[in-house]
Amino acid sequence: MPHTSRLSRRHVLTSAILGLLAATAVPAQAQQDSIVFTSWGGTTQAAQKKHWAVPFSAATGITVQQDGPTDYGKFKAMVESGNVNWDVVDVEADFAAKAAKDGLLEPIDYTVVPKSQLDPRFSGQYHVGSFYYAFVMAFNKDVYKGAAPANFSALFDTKAYPGKRTFYKWSAPGVLELALLADGVPADKLYPLDLDRAFKKLDTIKGNIVWWTGGAQSQQLLASGEAPIGVFWNGRVHSVETSGQNVGVSWSQSLTASDVLVVPKGSKRKAQAMKFLAYAAGAKGQADFATETAYAPVNLGSKALMSPAAVKTLPDNFTKGQINLNMAWWAENRDVVAKRWYAWQAQ
Amino acid sequence: MPTDTMTVPLALPAAAAPPKRRSGFAWLTPALALLALFFVLPVLSLLLRSVTEPQFGLQHYAELIGTWTYAKVLYNTLLVATIVTVVTVVLGFPVAWLMAIVPGRWSRFLMGCLLLSMWTNLLVRTYAWMVLLQRTGFINQTLMKWGLIDEPLALVNNLTGVTIGMSYIMLPFLVLPLHATIKSLDPAILRAAATCGASRWQAFWLVLWPLALPGVASGALMVFVMSLGYFVTPALLGGASHMMLAELIAQLVQSLLNWGLAGAASLVLLCITLGLYALQLKLFPAKGGQHAA
Amino acid sequence: MLLDHDRLGLPLRLSLATIGAVVVLFLLAPIVFIALLSFGSSPWLIFPPPGWTLQWYREMWADPGWLEAMWHSTRVALVVTALSVGLGFITALALVRGSFKGRALLRGFFITPMVLPVVVLAVALYALCLKVGLTGTFTGFVIGHLVIALPFSVITLTNALEGYDFALEEAAMICGATPWQVKWRVTLPALRLSLFAAGVFSFLVSWDEVVVSIFMATPGMETLPVRIWSALRQDLSPVIAAVSTVLIGITLLFMLIAALFKKDDDHGH
Repeated sequence: MPHTSRLSRRHVLTSAILGLLAATAVPAQAQQDSIVFTSWGGTTQAAQKKHWAVPFSAATGITVQQDGPTDYGKFKAMVESGNVNWDVVDVEADFAAKAAKDGLLEPIDYTVVPKSQLDPRFSGQYHVGSFYYAFVMAFNKDVYKGAAPANFSALFDTKAYPGKRTFYKWSAPGVLELALLADGVPADKLYPLDLDRAFKKLDTIKGNIVWWTGGAQSQQLLASGEAPIGVFWNGRVHSVETSGQNVGVSWSQSLTASDVLVVPKGSKRKAQAMKFLAYAAGAKGQADFATETAYAPVNLGSKALMSPAAVKTLPDNFTKGQINLNMAWWAENRDVVAKRWYAWQAQ
Repeated sequence: MPTDTMTVPLALPAAAAPPKRRSGFAWLTPALALLALFFVLPVLSLLLRSVTEPQFGLQHYAELIGTWTYAKVLYNTLLVATIVTVVTVVLGFPVAWLMAIVPGRWSRFLMGCLLLSMWTNLLVRTYAWMVLLQRTGFINQTLMKWGLIDEPLALVNNLTGVTIGMSYIMLPFLVLPLHATIKSLDPAILRAAATCGASRWQAFWLVLWPLALPGVASGALMVFVMSLGYFVTPALLGGASHMMLAELIAQLVQSLLNWGLAGAASLVLLCITLGLYALQLKLFPAKGGQHAA
Repeated sequence: MLLDHDRLGLPLRLSLATIGAVVVLFLLAPIVFIALLSFGSSPWLIFPPPGWTLQWYREMWADPGWLEAMWHSTRVALVVTALSVGLGFITALALVRGSFKGRALLRGFFITPMVLPVVVLAVALYALCLKVGLTGTFTGFVIGHLVIALPFSVITLTNALEGYDFALEEAAMICGATPWQVKWRVTLPALRLSLFAAGVFSFLVSWDEVVVSIFMATPGMETLPVRIWSALRQDLSPVIAAVSTVLIGITLLFMLIAALFKKDDDHGH
């Protein structure tokens, strides 16, 4: 009896499987008038969706599907295969420069996108600024009661500020610069980066470093006190502050960098993508996004549209001691630095 | 004579090899076809890039062997895989043994715990360890509260964290097949050993362990091989200083977009593993359906 | 006597039981922890949490994406399991019982998908699927997961078949069974435990598969691990803990039901 029932069970299972396979093998057809916007997920993409995608769809009738997180491996594979699913992608500025060099991007159509309104630092032949942010130093006030770290050198001072410190793990603009600044290099002499000097400085605290790999992890480390001091994206610190955690931010020194929007080469809906870019980089889209996230707009007309209270949270207010990370230098030297960076980390 | 007639139906040659009327190769074809199309083909073309990108030549391999970083990463990977395998076997063998011999209720309970653990999503389990093992995490808090330690132990973002996390994930992969192996053993053999005067120790080392060894070996190999290629847990629980090969390759593929080097590194890993597998076959030669004893 | 529980002797029994208890604790600790976290009110996963709440469950319920992802994952995993065990069994049969040359080599070949770093396989498979339009489809996911799950099935079943006493089958054939009947009524039942193990591994490999799934996923179709991975990287909300707790609850339920059914089956094993 058990054996015959196993026989019929197997029959049922087989036909069920075949049925399932048949029914579900047909891929869903993409809408004709829709584009795919890919970003990094989480609260940032949620804000991008709310302030860019939704109003854009309402105004033009083009649906914007969200995808993510941005994956450079996927990006490259798509472009190479000729079957590109992503139409607008939020990427890091140095990747955009490299991708442009490698021929992976479509040139931006500036007849549609209002170039004159955009901050020239953040737009180029193949990319349009998405938002710009600052790396700031933040600390957990419950751990460091009453302390007020003056500048980046506090990160290297394990006597006054004992415990773990946390930095961005991946080879990207930011950490090397702050090490050099803490070592006394004047801001205007920062580039080209003296890698040996930077690594030597970082070696002094290497045992105390916990690397954060994503925004959420950085917030968790700071809020829980696991790494009570470190360098973070300002928007992330802002949201930890507003959630009621006792953290402090030091704006006396900060480093700005940007995310940019690009269109992968071979995108099937280029025209619609460009229209989306025009909205996303437009004054209103940028203003609304900035108000919610405390990341700064790339459109010069946006600040006029924002409330004074919101403008106060932007990195623009803290330009004293603020250094703009040099994306052009990074684009040129991305691979060289990455090799040394990962080698150093692995030691 | 009476004994002979009684045993005639079972008087088959001791090493009863299955009748080899057909080669049986046909059974292999569906799986072969699947892998050929969706594994060999795409992967080969990627691996080919290791010698064609950016120029033709073996420069990626030279870089791998010559650069100290990559050698260290390989060393880290082998080290962690070994440690995890040893820990898993040390913890897993007693558990599999226990499961095979305790009364049904307890055996089901143990199996249930194993399955429940396995069925919880891998990422979430790893993340739970991340939070548990932190300096301000529950384990350290409790140990400090009980006065056992003064300073929080560094249990995560280092080798310890990776070992704990990976052993946790791999344990069921060893216990389940080993449990099946031990359960299939005939207790009469060990009773016979006892009758012959063997002490428990002797019975274990001379009878139980050798009989269970093929199960241990294949489970251990599975754990070792999985650990070599594992990505998720070391990425979340490890520090940067003990980077493992899988994470390095992920970086090459997704961050640095250096697919040539990634292909080369993968090929190296593949060769090492196949070498190990060949070794296992040598030590535990494949039988063709013989008696278990 | 080592395989008879009542004849182990006290010291051995105690040590085995202790290790068993420690391992059980080890296995269950993170799970209990996650369940507790899912009710905690701290968004930063601080433990012990400052308060207790059900808000994460409410958030999860309000977001259809989680339920969809769970559904996709389950569907894919079930199909992969069936195919993997089926294919794995016939492959194992051929590898252990066949008489063609190069069996050992082929055995090595079948474990290579497990050995090759998943990222490489993921990218390679992704490039292929892009060309044939299989990305974001159910079939694409099944194929991707199947390639990775098959080695587990093949290894488990080849080992089981090797330790298997062929005399049982020959005895059955002498009693007049046809080869098919022998397979169904002697081989398969005897291999029950190993088939179960192979099925469990295949299901889990598919269920937990992250990297290939990340590449295969499109907004229209994503599996649970993809969602959780992005959530963990970007937005560490305890909603993840809530989702996991719900899944654990479902698993426990299934296990209880299975245990009830198995109760009668256990006698006379």
